[in-house]
Amino acid sequence: MWFEDVPLNAKVTLGSYTFTEENIISFAKRYDPQPFHVDPEAAARSAYGGLIASGWHTAAVWMKLMLAHRRARIEAGAEATQANYVSPGVRELRWLKPVRPGTTLTYTNETFAKRDWKTRPQFGLVEGRNEACDERGELYYTFVNRVLIARRHSPPPALSPKGGKEN
Amino acid sequence: MADLLHFEDFVPGQAFRLGTHVLTAEEVIEFAREFDPQPQHTDPEAAKQSMLGGLAASGWHLGALAMRLMVDGLFNRATSMGSPGIDEIQWRKPVLVGDRVRLDGEVLDTRLSTRPDRGFVRFRFSMTRDEDARKGEPVMLFVCSVMFGRRREDAA
Repeated sequence: MWFEDVPLNAKVTLGSYTFTEENIISFAKRYDPQPFHVDPEAAARSAYGGLIASGWHTAAVWMKLMLAHRRARIEAGAEATQANYVSPGVRELRWLKPVRPGTTLTYTNETFAKRDWKTRPQFGLVEGRNEACDERGELYYTFVNRVLIARRHSPPPALSPKGGKEN
Repeated sequence: MADLLHFEDFVPGQAFRLGTHVLTAEEVIEFAREFDPQPQHTDPEAAKQSMLGGLAASGWHLGALAMRLMVDGLFNRATSMGSPGIDEIQWRKPVLVGDRVRLDGEVLDTRLSTRPDRGFVRFRFSMTRDEDARKGEPVMLFVCSVMFGRRREDAA
């Protein structure tokens, strides 16, 4: 998908992921070996009262689901294969509730801004709000993603809020 | 437990050197296959053609590696109680396989929680290259609050 084609204010469901004791401990042993992420007994004695997932685990799952969602759209013919997206960074990561084993989170993404990117004018910057909720709709995690997407036309034309056709 | 760092031990301006890490192809590919399966992170040949110029770590992998350096270098000798969030992460430069990076942390400010057993410490963490040619070049920056337990009043 080209920058011009990215729709604004469209909320999409990226997918779901179930956090288990196994995948929580496996991730945390490698990257975040604090007692409340890797040791169920120590976690039970901690302020959390039990094992919880590393915030970086919750964050990395978003990327996994975003790519799987995009791949499914490409396979369905809804989106053309395109150069890989690159991100200059993300904002406002909020871990609102601890993620415990057995929790299934469903991640959503909603693009809310499209901006010029002066240092690489052949790209545009897309910003989106992202949420992860459990089956009851309780919000666990939010952040703003930012991604550079190649423009179809260079130099860029004026931005259209509706975007163009898929190619 | 007396030698653990508590909330009261952190003051603005305090700096922590949190160690170095050399990125291997195996770990870059392993992380990316699970969480960020794009060619610039999983396929050495395709990565050469990409905007990043070679097999490069996922930004989320760099965050996770920074976390590991934070835990080994600081949190596991402190009363860390987790983090409510990160204000901003900037991925400034690609980190390629073979690059050595280091992590530094600086305390920006501290504040008490409404819960009497803990307080918040806000850090700026910077991951920089630790190589002769590009030493000190920032590759990732982020500002993150972390909760730490307070000292018991009767132990102060």
